[in-house]
Amino acid sequence: MAFKAPIDEKELINQLQDEKSAHKAFETLLHYYSEPVYWQIRRMVLNHDDANDVVQNVFIKAWNNLHNFRGDAKLSTWLFKIAVNESINFINKEKHRAQTSTDGDEESSVLKNLEADEYFDGDALQLQLQDAISKLPEKQRLVFNMRYYDEMKYEEISEVLGTSVGALKASYHHAVKKITEMISS
Amino acid sequence: MKQEEQLINKFGKDSGMKVPEGYFNTLEQQIMQSLPPYPEASKSIVLSRWQRVKPYVYMAAMFCGIWLMMKVFHTATQPISLSLDNPPEALVELIDGDTFYDINYLHYNIGEFDADEQEIIMSYDNIEDFEKDFYAAE
Repeated sequence: MAFKAPIDEKELINQLQDEKSAHKAFETLLHYYSEPVYWQIRRMVLNHDDANDVVQNVFIKAWNNLHNFRGDAKLSTWLFKIAVNESINFINKEKHRAQTSTDGDEESSVLKNLEADEYFDGDALQLQLQDAISKLPEKQRLVFNMRYYDEMKYEEISEVLGTSVGALKASYHHAVKKITEMISS
Repeated sequence: MKQEEQLINKFGKDSGMKVPEGYFNTLEQQIMQSLPPYPEASKSIVLSRWQRVKPYVYMAAMFCGIWLMMKVFHTATQPISLSLDNPPEALVELIDGDTFYDINYLHYNIGEFDADEQEIIMSYDNIEDFEKDFYAAE
């Protein structure tokens, strides 16, 4: 994944857990991780404004839970976990809202949402691919995005999603197969 | 994976999603400005010895309860085989005990019943009247 190489992570964690140095350390954390975390969220929620709201929530949650971070996992893994949970929560809320709204057509709303986004300038092909990805089950979407776009290793994805490497490989394989079928039909 | 290569060849790795110029710098500033006060560490709670042992005591009590229930259930569902060779303990005690003479009570009752029957028969002058009433009662 295209992370900017962070400074000594252990040192950063120590600074984050000390009230005196926490603000400065959090600024450093944002500098290194805001971009990859944003893209992770954006590929799930699709719309820039929604991604902007979710990414801010993710970092506020991270700030509020600094004491719960024990340093067992990498900071990036911890942030990605929060991002995945927040994205899924957001998507579920949106689904619920779409179901209870008058039109109730959630699939077409995904496409409409993306087409209406001024920060999407993809062509018809890219729109077609995003449409196919949006029809995958949530976990397959996550795996596909992390592997296809972010080029994360299966081991890294495994840490974030808490799924075995074997299961992730199978999930990615299924996702690619489904997308290929959807596009060719 | 062949299908993955096909996807890459056809669609590339650009999702077509963009962000406003200088967005990430603005985002960092926005988040830093909206940070709440530094969170207080959750205080570690000191547990008393009873509080530490309590779950284990409750669990032991639960297992004892389950064992007792199973014991009662097992006893209740035991098949009872009665025979002259294997009479119930209570009956053996009754026969061997001093109170067994009470069984003669049955004979007294039977005797009384016989006397009643005789009295009824004697109240009829002839057998036809008795038979008439007897079959009418049936």
